[in-house]
Amino acid sequence: MSADYVLMKGNEAIAEAALRAGCRFYAGYPITPQSEILEYMSVNMEKRGGTFIQGENEIASMSMLFGASAAGARVMSSSSGPGFDLKQEEISYLTSNNLPAVLVNSMRYGTGDGEITPGQDSYWVSTRGGGHGDKRLIVLAPASVNECAELTYLAFDLAEKYRNVVEILTDGAISQMIEKCTLPPAKEHDIDKFDWTLTGKPLGVKKNKMNNLTNIIGHPAYSEMMLNKFKTMFSEEQRWESVMTDDAELILVAYGISSRVCKTAVREARAAGIKLGLIRPITVWPFPRKAFENLPESVKGFVTVEMSISSQMGEDIMMAARNSKPLYGCLTNVNIPKAKEIVDFCLDVLAGKVEPMEVI
Amino acid sequence: MPVYKTPKSIIAPSGCCGGCGHGIIQRLIAESIEELGLQDQVIACVDIACSEWSLDCLDYDHIAGPHGRIASVATGIKKVRPDKTVYALAGDGSSYVIGWTETTYAAVRDIPITMIVVNNGIFGMTGGQMNLATTLIGDKTVSSKAGRRRETMGHPVDMLQAIKTFDVEFAARGALYDTKHIDETKRFIKKGFENQRDNKGFSIIEVLSPCPTNWKLDPVDAMEKIKNENEKVFPVGVYTDRGGNK
Repeated sequence: MSADYVLMKGNEAIAEAALRAGCRFYAGYPITPQSEILEYMSVNMEKRGGTFIQGENEIASMSMLFGASAAGARVMSSSSGPGFDLKQEEISYLTSNNLPAVLVNSMRYGTGDGEITPGQDSYWVSTRGGGHGDKRLIVLAPASVNECAELTYLAFDLAEKYRNVVEILTDGAISQMIEKCTLPPAKEHDIDKFDWTLTGKPLGVKKNKMNNLTNIIGHPAYSEMMLNKFKTMFSEEQRWESVMTDDAELILVAYGISSRVCKTAVREARAAGIKLGLIRPITVWPFPRKAFENLPESVKGFVTVEMSISSQMGEDIMMAARNSKPLYGCLTNVNIPKAKEIVDFCLDVLAGKVEPMEVI
Repeated sequence: MPVYKTPKSIIAPSGCCGGCGHGIIQRLIAESIEELGLQDQVIACVDIACSEWSLDCLDYDHIAGPHGRIASVATGIKKVRPDKTVYALAGDGSSYVIGWTETTYAAVRDIPITMIVVNNGIFGMTGGQMNLATTLIGDKTVSSKAGRRRETMGHPVDMLQAIKTFDVEFAARGALYDTKHIDETKRFIKKGFENQRDNKGFSIIEVLSPCPTNWKLDPVDAMEKIKNENEKVFPVGVYTDRGGNK
């Protein structure tokens, strides 16, 4: 076991992993349930020689991030619910300039002000959002504190590899729970590593003019480049965990906090002779369509387990399964699902008592 | 007789409409930077809209920020590269209306950048709409066709009066309607860059600048309007100077 074995909150693990990945610029605005990220950065960022700014609002924080990323730093911001909505403008600007950044969206349940308790109903804003125009964000969904650290560390490399925004999609439960965690090794990032950054160059040397890339390279080249990037990210970055799908009759699909309960549900169902399996997307974009290839004949349908009113992930499952099997929705909205409730739901599905869902 | 050389930093025409003040301001920026020997370490942040024309005109690393957020973008860059000369060039819509919060808190944080605000009293790039902060009462624009009315549209505000209370390094307003005022504006801009060179705090220089196209005036009449009307509401001069020269 590593000497870095620690007991931490999900939010703290995200912040510490970011610092160890070489993140040296954080700007954000407080909102529950992710404020510990901001607080951790306020204590620890300057010790690592970086900049922490508590912004006057989300938009200003993201604009500082935009500048810092353009200047070559590894950058991060975090928010939740209504706060994350406000970050959309700059996600679009980051995309239009091909700039890397890591964002954390710790989902709180509900529309408008909503609740401060966990939810999974910001799936659409994370996987489809990002402001106006065409863009794709890589969205990583940790299901443990350890994964909070692991995926945040990875996020900075992916952001840089694709020059793209990468999002950590967690929820109030994963963000707030305390678990053991193995922290990755600390590394430094060289802000002069890339030739596309703003450095302040001597006269006569070719300058970087960061504007909409379409203005610089033209629409045909930009469209081709972005489409290639989206395709490459889609084919190369799908991540998931399959649990007992080889002989399953029903396959649960869940991420984040719900997926943890689903693992218990699979274990309890199996003990009772019910063949449940689980596909846990680790990337929700790109959605792991590969996990739905070559599933056994025994599979009668899929059950999406989500904390939302609409099945936000349902259309992704339907597309991944190419609509070949019925989809059932075990949607618990404001409540964290319970294992027994999931098993009972599956028993009803197998008994023909539940109608397959239309995605709405 | 003085010989005026074009600064080496200027590599293309301004691209602005005839009689626009933006081209003069770009030149004053370039002259100030070169006279201080800072030309090899500049990062320019420009707002979208008319400030963005300088992106192709000046030979510096440039970034065009989201509308109104340019003081924040410049803050992010200055924090990552504190040894570089970072300036923000934006209009009055960007700096005082949609981005007033961002301008305010860059000033409150006393970020050592040089911010240049072009006050032309109108939304130029989008076709001449009213500017909430700077369009004078009675001025006709495409969104105040009968003239700005205080009762329904509020009144212009001298934002430098607010900024000087934020304990910033330097705040001043210049104008471009004659050579005397152009020279004064240049001194203000140069002072803003000197402050940054000397690791002092936030410097903001606002410039009363004509927009003949959207004011629907010829260039000379546009300059006269600034002298006779705009300057009465927005007096030129130094508003605060922590260095204490005035």
